[in-house]
Amino acid sequence: MNSVPTADRAPKPHSSLSNSIVIPLAFAASYIAARWGIKVLPQGSREALVAALLPVPVFAWLIYSIVRGTRALDELERRIQLEALALAFPAALVILFTAGLLDLAGFHGEGNWDLPRLLPLVLLPYWFGLALARRRYS
Amino acid sequence: MESRLRVLRAERNWTQAELAQRLGVSRQTVNSIETQKYEPSLSLAFAIARLFGCKVEDVFLPPDRAQPQ
Repeated sequence: MNSVPTADRAPKPHSSLSNSIVIPLAFAASYIAARWGIKVLPQGSREALVAALLPVPVFAWLIYSIVRGTRALDELERRIQLEALALAFPAALVILFTAGLLDLAGFHGEGNWDLPRLLPLVLLPYWFGLALARRRYS
Repeated sequence: MESRLRVLRAERNWTQAELAQRLGVSRQTVNSIETQKYEPSLSLAFAIARLFGCKVEDVFLPPDRAQPQ
């Protein structure tokens, strides 16, 4: 039984600066660079493929950082995060499926259902679930 | 599950934040256990009992042993 962090065995605190600012900025920068690259490079070319995959390593870094951050949480905060994700994950799937179906049905809106448009919609259920779970245990 | 955590903490004049720091958890976790909104894991329950120098069953009372309010 070693799930209780103590001063001796607590996970090393991750850099909150890198979590909250550097990684999202790096991801945004890589995404913008990828979009720009896809726009200017010939479609189907090797360069366009590299541009399209540009955000993947940054995204992997983001996932690694989230997992590290989760391990540093105490058991109640882990449960709160789990309850938030239990709502957010299926809700995000529903939103993505609905956006895809709307797109197929011809409701493209402005700029289609791309990441900048969908991201706030996908994150909204997580924030809602987080607020609900925090309220439940406060 | 009823908990005597608040009583034990008060006997030592510890704040929730102090107890949380000693246990390596958040103050919210201590508060949630005291208000019976959250039941701790077995390892945390043992850590709490060890900290107060008593048995787990002296800190956490199963429903059949809990005093009627």
